[in-house]
Amino acid sequence: MMSDFLTAREAGLALCQDCHKLIPWQVQHEQGGAICPRCGADVHLRKPHSISRTWALVITAAILLVPANVLPIMEVDSLGSAAYSTILDGIIYFFEEGSYAIGIIILTASVLVPCFKIIGIVLILLSIHFRWKSWLRHKTLLFRVIGFIGRWSMLDIFVIALLQVLVNFGYLTSIESAPAATYFTGVVLTTMFAAITFDPRLLWDA
Amino acid sequence: MEARIDKLDLENVMACPDCDLLLQQVEVVRGQKALCPRCGHMLYSAKKDSLDKTLALSFSGLILYLPANFLPLMTLDTLGLEKSGSIYDGVISLYQHRYFFVAIMVALTSLIFPLAKLSLLFLVSLALKLKFYPRFLSLCLRYYHHLDEWGMLEVYMVGILVTIIKMYHMAHIQYDAGFFCFIGLLWVALGSSVVLDEHLFWRLIEQKNS
Repeated sequence: MMSDFLTAREAGLALCQDCHKLIPWQVQHEQGGAICPRCGADVHLRKPHSISRTWALVITAAILLVPANVLPIMEVDSLGSAAYSTILDGIIYFFEEGSYAIGIIILTASVLVPCFKIIGIVLILLSIHFRWKSWLRHKTLLFRVIGFIGRWSMLDIFVIALLQVLVNFGYLTSIESAPAATYFTGVVLTTMFAAITFDPRLLWDA
Repeated sequence: MEARIDKLDLENVMACPDCDLLLQQVEVVRGQKALCPRCGHMLYSAKKDSLDKTLALSFSGLILYLPANFLPLMTLDTLGLEKSGSIYDGVISLYQHRYFFVAIMVALTSLIFPLAKLSLLFLVSLALKLKFYPRFLSLCLRYYHHLDEWGMLEVYMVGILVTIIKMYHMAHIQYDAGFFCFIGLLWVALGSSVVLDEHLFWRLIEQKNS
């Protein structure tokens, strides 16, 4: 199936990840990689330790996802009584209020996107591990989508940062961030790094 | 295999970053983009006057940066009590509530990285425009490339909209100067990354170095 296609690696060329220049790959580069003559970046045939680094990050993200969803992310103080709400509580609030559009946006950004990213990356990693050669184009597209949507999970954190400043009327009512904010930011960070350390070319090498 | 490469001119050959397929570069005209035939990755698209447009937009972004981030976005009014806040205040508030990790991440993604991206882009395009090629030019463009996805102005914009809808029924909202400056900054910053032709910029840097 692949015989019609010649990859850069098969042609003895390495692609610089920073400036996309093709560099003739030599045997002496196998040890520590090459330096790109155009931009000075380290060049490797494939990102080094890509699979193990991505596994480590995606497992960390999956672990952090539990406290991020179970613990409260926001504290609303009103006339001396404190109410804590988790990410899901916030979404349910919007649906009950009738703001379906916003409810769906937050549901997507803070629940669906992180889960989709973790499941997607695990699927891709498993497919490399077991050398599943079908749906390569779709899996590459899946990875591209994961890379694109990752940053949108920060939405909830930005909303809480703003609410904390704006809704601060002392005893009357105030909003503060709660412990899940830290875990949730951790999920965003680790999943974004997982997408960066993963090398989609490994899918096609199998 | 080696023989095939000798026949190809290395200048006009490129590899797909997503699947490593070796490809012959083709000319694209306005409105066209080049896709990888094997995995569908968008390789490059035709961009007109990339250098001038990038310079103009990144400069405008730098002008809007300070008012957008440090002037109050809006003022909430409940029962006669007023409270206003800027993006910078959001970071400080997280810091004061001892959410240091969250505060640092919000500061980086909403304040520091967007500024770094605009400054680097402005520096690189200005230097290329003036045909001045200091050694750190390629380093600047590399840093820009790495910071690209870590500036999250558009995510913050949606965050502002969600906040508005959340507060809409509870308080009177008055939009302040920072809000409009932020919308401007968002457009200009998004525009600068759309008009940037990284392939062209690298070619310009390479021509001088060789």
